[in-house]
Amino acid sequence: MSSSLTCTKLTVWTVIGILIQIIGLSLFVLGFFPVKPALSGVSGLESFRPPGFDSVEDHNVSNLRPDQLKSLYQELYEIPPSFDRLILMVIDGLPAEFVLGRDGQPPSKVFMEAMPYTQSLLASGMAVGYHAKAAPPTVTMPRLKTMVSGAIGGFLDVAFNFNTQAFLDDNLIGQFFNIGWKMVMLGDETWLKLFPGLFTRHDGVSSFYVKDTVEVDHNVSRHLGDELNRTDWNLLILHYLGLDHVGHIGGRSSILMGAKLKEMDEVVKMIHSSAKRSQDNNQGRTLLVVVSDHGMTDNGNHGGSSYEETDSLVLFVGLKHKAYDCPLVIHSTADQADIAPTLALLFGVPIPKNNVGILMSETLDFLTDDQRLRTLELNSWQLLRLLQAQLPGLSCGSFSSDVIRDDQWPAITKCDGSDEGMSNSRDDYSNTVSAYDDFLRAAREWLSHRATYKPAGLLASGVAAMVLSCLVFIGLLLWLDQEVYLRQMHRLSDLKNNMHKWHLEETYVLAIIFILVLSMGSSSMVEEEQYIWHFLTSTFYLVLLRKAIQSPIAGVAQSLITLVKGQNRRRSSQIFFIILILLSGRIMRGWHQGGVNWAHLPDISKWLEQAGRDYVKCIQLVSWLLVISLGLYSLSLFRTKKYFVMVIAFLFLVPAMLVLRHILKYQDSAFAASSHGATSMAQIIYSSRDPHMWCCFCLTVAYTVQNPKIFSTHDVCWSNNFLADVRRKFLLVGFRDCAYVIGWAYMLCWCLLQLLLQQPINSMPILLLLVQILASICYCSNSGLHLKQWVEVAALFYLGLAGHFALGNTNTLASIDVAGAFIGISSHSTLLSGILMFIITYASPLLAFLSMVMYMSMKETSYLVNPQNADIGHFLKMSVGFPCLVPLGLNSVLLFAYTIVLLLMRNHLFVWSVFSPKYLYVCATTVCVYIGVSVVYSTAIYTSLVFALRSRTLQCFIRDESRVSMVDNMYSMNPSYYELGSCSSNSVKFHLEGGGGGGGGGVVSSNSTNMANSMSMVRWSSLRSTAEEEEKGVGGGGSKKKSHNRQGFIASRSSPKAEELKKTTTELTQADSTSTTSDNGSGQSGGSAKEHHNMLPSEADELELCYCEEEGDSAAGTIKATMSCEDRPELVSDMTRAVRSVEGKVVRAEMATVGGRTKSVLWVQVSGDSGGSDGDSSGGERLGMLGRALKVVVDRASLSMSGPGQDLPGNKRPRLYHY
Amino acid sequence: MEKKGKKKQPSEGNDTVSSPSPSPWQAFLVHLICGLGLASALWIAHKVYTNLISDPSQILCLIWIIEAPIVILLFSIFRKNPKECSYWKAVGRGLLGLPAGAVVNALGAIALGAPVGVKYFSKTLNWSLLMSLFTVVPAASVFGSSWTNWQQIFAHTKPIGSIDYMICLPAHGAVIGAWFGAWPMPLDWERPWQEWPICVSYGAIAGYLVGMVASFCFVPLRSEQRHVKAE
Repeated sequence: MSSSLTCTKLTVWTVIGILIQIIGLSLFVLGFFPVKPALSGVSGLESFRPPGFDSVEDHNVSNLRPDQLKSLYQELYEIPPSFDRLILMVIDGLPAEFVLGRDGQPPSKVFMEAMPYTQSLLASGMAVGYHAKAAPPTVTMPRLKTMVSGAIGGFLDVAFNFNTQAFLDDNLIGQFFNIGWKMVMLGDETWLKLFPGLFTRHDGVSSFYVKDTVEVDHNVSRHLGDELNRTDWNLLILHYLGLDHVGHIGGRSSILMGAKLKEMDEVVKMIHSSAKRSQDNNQGRTLLVVVSDHGMTDNGNHGGSSYEETDSLVLFVGLKHKAYDCPLVIHSTADQADIAPTLALLFGVPIPKNNVGILMSETLDFLTDDQRLRTLELNSWQLLRLLQAQLPGLSCGSFSSDVIRDDQWPAITKCDGSDEGMSNSRDDYSNTVSAYDDFLRAAREWLSHRATYKPAGLLASGVAAMVLSCLVFIGLLLWLDQEVYLRQMHRLSDLKNNMHKWHLEETYVLAIIFILVLSMGSSSMVEEEQYIWHFLTSTFYLVLLRKAIQSPIAGVAQSLITLVKGQNRRRSSQIFFIILILLSGRIMRGWHQGGVNWAHLPDISKWLEQAGRDYVKCIQLVSWLLVISLGLYSLSLFRTKKYFVMVIAFLFLVPAMLVLRHILKYQDSAFAASSHGATSMAQIIYSSRDPHMWCCFCLTVAYTVQNPKIFSTHDVCWSNNFLADVRRKFLLVGFRDCAYVIGWAYMLCWCLLQLLLQQPINSMPILLLLVQILASICYCSNSGLHLKQWVEVAALFYLGLAGHFALGNTNTLASIDVAGAFIGISSHSTLLSGILMFIITYASPLLAFLSMVMYMSMKETSYLVNPQNADIGHFLKMSVGFPCLVPLGLNSVLLFAYTIVLLLMRNHLFVWSVFSPKYLYVCATTVCVYIGVSVVYSTAIYTSLVFALRSRTLQCFIRDESRVSMVDNMYSMNPSYYELGSCSSNSVKFHLEGGGGGGGGGVVSSNSTNMANSMSMVRWSSLRSTAEEEEKGVGGGGSKKKSHNRQGFIASRSSPKAEELKKTTTELTQADSTSTTSDNGSGQSGGSAKEHHNMLPSEADELELCYCEEEGDSAAGTIKATMSCEDRPELVSDMTRAVRSVEGKVVRAEMATVGGRTKSVLWVQVSGDSGGSDGDSSGGERLGMLGRALKVVVDRASLSMSGPGQDLPGNKRPRLYHY
Repeated sequence: MEKKGKKKQPSEGNDTVSSPSPSPWQAFLVHLICGLGLASALWIAHKVYTNLISDPSQILCLIWIIEAPIVILLFSIFRKNPKECSYWKAVGRGLLGLPAGAVVNALGAIALGAPVGVKYFSKTLNWSLLMSLFTVVPAASVFGSSWTNWQQIFAHTKPIGSIDYMICLPAHGAVIGAWFGAWPMPLDWERPWQEWPICVSYGAIAGYLVGMVASFCFVPLRSEQRHVKAE
């Protein structure tokens, strides 16, 4: 089986996938959230001057008083203001069609009759109406912004100032405020959010209760009479929500609609008559502008970009005092952005800087020609400035004859010749006006297109790149999985059925992704995503619980009471871990009541905060203590060398103490973040934490690198053949130890950092998260082959994402903890606090990633490593492949799916409030995955590189040693030995623990406390577990195993026990690899199925039986018995006797003795078994009998060994308890 | 199909020794009575409380009180080892299984996010008793404390005999139905039935009914196969 997928290839492909994904993501983001170059600042005096003269005497404008500014504006504007007061009446959701009709047709009769006064105004020409096209999203807040600023906002400018809803761009309200207008606002409180503090009086109503159609409007109108009688205001904003609510309830044709229109008509009538009255009394002229922010569909919804939704109304009432003789009934169309410049020019204030609208020329009909040209000129200058900002190459230094050649609309060539326009000829005048008009329209078109344009090409290529990267990751995963699978097949050749079966939890892991993607299409599911995550992860662990319950095989092992006990213990530890995960997950879910709709419900954090600061602090201290003790406990499991552990623990405790001090001293004061002491303290912690991490890092590596030197000096007599083996063991053991300590340091330091940065109330969820992840890792390390590796990695990833929401994060930008981002930062730095914000927000997913390092060390993967070519790349691929690729793959699927959702939802009502913030979170999660994966990968690379280097030197070292040492010729003399071929995996092995309770009756050693059909137990108690494994083998194999042809055997059986037997055989073969692993891991118990080439006696007493199956060999059909034990004089005769006792005949024998230990390989032909197919039961029994007989021999050897005088401690390799 | 073939042998072995495996007709009758009991319980609840949403805990209580004797008495007939175990002992096992199963179900629901608190106590209690009736009680009546059988039904989901199907399919249906029933809960529809036990209960009942229908279909299928094999 050639490795088709090398480590380098895998890395390169992964990096390519990541790069493609980054490119795709950025293309999509650029396309979907266009960043329009906006001008900052507020228009001032310069707007009355041509663009070339911008920088003159601007600086002293800010010193002027409002009334001075006002007069200055008037002076520069050269046109006296036509009106003194403005009433802006916003009718939410009123389609222009209701008032103006559609396509030249008058509105339907119902609506005509509902608004008699307005219609009469229109008919008489005293009102000018427009169909104003609103830009999507047709939702109130962005529409209001467009109306007052003339700019068409993107999403990103909402996102960039997420902590305030106030509208900071240049806008009309601000301009009015600057010239000292007094403003009154009645109606939708959105205005108050947008312009806090600008209104003299206000009465906001909430649009929350959609069912209410009466009270909302009554609350506005009740003040109206009073306000109209007052004269202290200049701008009155009325925002009526009722019509929108009517639409939401009953759609356009709701029976309430007529009444509502009637009510609006009454308001218009009231205002207009009042305005007329006050004008007649010379109390100033009042302009009434009736606008609607958006339209509605037939069902009454809005948000999208259909004509019904974008068709909003602009109605100027009172431009002319008297009715026209020949009224205009043509209602032209305009853009909603046009309202801002029109009002600005009508009232003589500068046009807002980012305005893309053009003035509505019909409203200025009452001006003289010169004045009209002046307004056109001002509008053109403003747009020209904006154009210059967006097209830096635009050459328009002189305004007299300005030719704009726009690349994108090459056909439009405009003459902006205003001076010529001043000539007397009427012809010239109209020419100039039309030239201005053309220019303005072209500019508006271009600018607004620029703002809302979503380049399809960009989006498509972005999506395509994401699909490609997704496919790359999935392909790599399948490839890797295939290879692992093949390797397992290689090792466990007969488990095809079992391994191939698609287990419930694997299906479920994929189903999670599917369900998530589906649920993302619903806005309320996005808002309440924390429930989904908790539900899905809990269900996943319940599925695992079910699996843990089903794992023991009651029928087979019933005879062995001890074995059942061991099984129960393993099972109960698994169940315990799962229950721990479920419990802490449940507490975490109860900790924060996240989301949007149920955020007000009680939860533990609210309860604690109400209970008082002391409780919170108590919780914080408790969780600090538990995190520290958990850390120290898990470190103490690593008991290689006490002093080393103590050094690391000490290094860990230093920052821990500092964090504790910080908690005790500073976090109880409300202004902790601002106090100097806290800042410096936090800085000290930062600076102490990082060195600690690095110390751990270096120490670990340095130590473990030293370690093999120690043990290799003890092993004097190794032959060259053994060298590769030693290297491999060295690599595996060292890598594991190293990864364990580094992963530990990562996780604990991360938790400490979070204890420092997070809100005090979040310290307990951090602890619970740590518990969950540690329990999950322990569970996985216990699970052996029962769970596929990718499932476990995916489980960790899901835990991390579920924890993200348990820390109180939601999918709205509001829940980001901004305050924590300034801990320990003395001067404002966007970058640093941004990084801190990221650390706080993504605490949980990053913790999950950091835990992958530890997971790699705990998870048994060595069976995947081919012992023959233990090169480092291969090893890396097997250990790092899944932890890196699975999160990347899952995330790429989520990212792609969510991109599609966002595209589909681009016209949804909540696209800006729900889906787009969620998309930003998805992008940030992607970044988080990149960071996590790169940390895991680089750690693994670094560690294994260090070991590769060391093992090379080790090789030289051993080579030198071996030259001196005694070399047993046996290894070199018989090359044919290697050709003997491999035994089938149908083997029963007996590992006898040297000092353990020796031969207990007919069955093997009774020192079995643990069930170990999992290979990974080896890490914790390798010898013990192996022994039990064998025991199980005897129990299961001795009674049930029938033939060496296991495939046929399984197929021939149809009892339900077949399933169990299959499991037994699984375990047996796992045991095979277990023993291999134990070799790798400890270097003390040699001899396994995979190591026949090595005739070196192992340190532990062991016995291994298997059938030889190679064709054409004389040894075919024989049992191969391999045993290692202490040498003694009567060993050979004992063995002969044992073989005879089962009526066997030794066909061939090989023995090797090194330093008092001996290893014998016997090929025994058992009479009656030569056929090999005469019945499964007899073969199995014979194997068991031979095993028992030989075991007695080995046992006796070990017993005699324990006798006085025979002990040869010098020759015995010291045991390395690495755990 | 192959799998089923494998599983069959021991069940035949068991059958000959012990329990009277219910014929398809009996199975149909049992399911029919259970379903009718459930329907009548719902009908009575509707009559008594008029609104099936307003007071979930009392309605659930009513349902399980009506359904419990039906299930326990019916399934006790099909107990394993009828020679060693009298009918009333089986009934007793079923009664014992009711609270035990309720604890298991309640713990599972809480792990999945069911609200905890004094005011939810009676709702959770009644719901879990009902769930216990759907899942654990029939198995308790039939199998008693035979761990192997329990494991086979609930951990491996490998029913063999027709009685296994009759226990296994409705139980799994109820659990899966309850799981799916929980999905509308976080949605912001502001409907009263989105409250904690209501939609989950309806999901469970629906799943239970679907499981019973599936069991209807499977049991005759199984016995047909058995006949074929016997011949």
